[in-house]
Amino acid sequence: MPTRPGEKHPALLALTSSALLLPAYQAARADAPPEFMEMGVRYSKYEEDRTQASKTFGGSSQRYDIDAAQFHLLAPVADDWSVAVDVQWEDMSGASPWFVGESLDGSPKVIMSGASIEDTRTEVSVTTRYYYDRGNAGLNYVRSDEDDYDSNAVALDGSLNSADGMTTYSAAISYSDDNIDPTQGSVPTNTRKADKDISSVFLGVSRIVSKNAIVRFGLAYTYRDGFLTDPYKFRDKRPGERKEWAVSTGYRHYFTGPNGALQADYRYFDDDWGVASHTLNLAWVQNLGFSTQVTPFLRYYSQGEADFFSNIADLDKRYFADDYRLSSFGAISGGLRVRHEIGNWVITAVGERYETDESWGVYSGDESPALVDYWRYSFGLDYIFR
Amino acid sequence: MAALHYDHRFRAMGGPCRLRFDCEDEVVAGTVVLEVEAEIQRLEKKYSRYLPDSVTSQINTTAGSGAFAIDEETAGLLGFAQTLWQESNGLFDLTAGVLRRAWNFKSGQLPAQSSLDELLTCVGWHRVEWDRDSIRLPLRGMEIDFGGCVKEYASDSAAAVLVRNGIERGLVDLAGDMATVGAGSVAEPWPVGISHPRQPGAAIAHISLSEGGLASSGDYARCLLIDGRRYGHILNPATGWPVRGLVAVSVAAPQCLVAGGSATIGMLQPEAEALSWLAELGLPWFAVDSDLNCHGVLAAPP
Repeated sequence: MPTRPGEKHPALLALTSSALLLPAYQAARADAPPEFMEMGVRYSKYEEDRTQASKTFGGSSQRYDIDAAQFHLLAPVADDWSVAVDVQWEDMSGASPWFVGESLDGSPKVIMSGASIEDTRTEVSVTTRYYYDRGNAGLNYVRSDEDDYDSNAVALDGSLNSADGMTTYSAAISYSDDNIDPTQGSVPTNTRKADKDISSVFLGVSRIVSKNAIVRFGLAYTYRDGFLTDPYKFRDKRPGERKEWAVSTGYRHYFTGPNGALQADYRYFDDDWGVASHTLNLAWVQNLGFSTQVTPFLRYYSQGEADFFSNIADLDKRYFADDYRLSSFGAISGGLRVRHEIGNWVITAVGERYETDESWGVYSGDESPALVDYWRYSFGLDYIFR
Repeated sequence: MAALHYDHRFRAMGGPCRLRFDCEDEVVAGTVVLEVEAEIQRLEKKYSRYLPDSVTSQINTTAGSGAFAIDEETAGLLGFAQTLWQESNGLFDLTAGVLRRAWNFKSGQLPAQSSLDELLTCVGWHRVEWDRDSIRLPLRGMEIDFGGCVKEYASDSAAAVLVRNGIERGLVDLAGDMATVGAGSVAEPWPVGISHPRQPGAAIAHISLSEGGLASSGDYARCLLIDGRRYGHILNPATGWPVRGLVAVSVAAPQCLVAGGSATIGMLQPEAEALSWLAELGLPWFAVDSDLNCHGVLAAPP
């Protein structure tokens, strides 16, 4: 039976698919839509350490846990399109720092919200992507729902490869409309209903600098507008807008001898709240044969505090916050990612430990008693329909 | 500055090669020529069964003993060969090369069945144990030969060199296995000839190649004529005897490798089956049967 126009004969499909696995075709495939449908599930657990007893005022020292389940589907549509659907369910429970008070000896101690938070979040993300000769463009919509929070976001991104295929330019814009409607638990909240908008733009360029190395640079700007105060913090009042800039750069180098790749990334962040940060990521991707990859990674983060941060919030000021996330601190995290392919199945597992300390940072400031350490694990299973 | 036409002829992989492309910059053009030749030499050194250090020779040396570690490219070629084996119902067989030892096309004599039978014990792709990391030929005397796909792959790989250097119109021709490059080729296609299976140096058809690759497989030179019967060099790996099929097949495909694999499968089947397989495949093709009749939709006679 002759095949219909546009439909490939099974023999031709088999020959083409097996040919395209060869290295000579890898560059040409960079902007081709996925050939096969992929489906995957992932389970993640995020577990914050208890706050040290010496840093809390009685109450609970237990903190946040998040259990997350994810579903992922990516499917080619026609010759030049793909559609991806991602759904994530999160179950959050535990306590978060409510406010920081001064103890008798003058040291700041955190008062926790009590194990009162129980919330679930559902997020649905749909992306369509169009592939053209020299790049691809995507349109993404994300809807996220929690008891007390919902968010609708759209994003548009595009990339263009230079004629020689060595340089890729990319750009993205996104807009998110978030609504806060605090309801939960016994903790009093400092707003009833509020909303915020987040707009951001990204420009990037990456270049193949040798047969084995790629460098990239990125520039991002984010504008947040609306109710940016944390509704669950007792002593928290923040400006109604925030302008953020970030520059990033990265380097990938594949080493033939050990059959592994070094990934190094750096990001500098600065905003008009006075927060600045440095992030350095290092990872070594070690291939063990063709089916297994083991990737140890290490991240260093250092942040300077916001202008209006202080451990004991001064409620007479126009803006104030005792939120540890706006304090100055340093953080080190490290972990291991393992990826293994068996036939059409891909198994991934990640374990990560994150620890913070004010003295690890390059910025000086008061150490928040609420700094958090955590463990994160995830396990995923994907199937490729080929 | 207007683009200059470059036409560079050289020998590689046991045959005449030609690299044609348009380029405005002399330095880039020089780089392209050097890189293309280097890439083809790299693949020849890596896969030639005549070179003792090649991956092919090293795999063949370990036949009957342990597994041999392979890289991604070799695994990719083995995977492609596996697909050819499946799609040809076993007629394309990477291990069939040993049968050539029994056939001496210069001798004027047919091989003894006993010598074919002995060699056939070492033929059979299904016996090869391989995965993406290693290959093991389980029997002493077994051999593999990438001759059936390396030249086509090298054409594509050389074309990728042109693309990386920003060439917008180019043609790589490795003794008839061709790959085009760039939008310029669509605007101004390459006139190419398909070799006549019985008249060396003459073309049986001319076509315009504007995109993708073109590969030809044919029963051109090597043959035995005994009692008026022609014994070609395309051997059936199940029997050890020549296939009585088409005498020449050309296929065009987005990749020269796919074109070459399809042309090879076309040559390995009996005439009638081959013609219907090629017609169903969905690629432009051209074939010459044993009476020198032309078939297919690739080209009109000159």
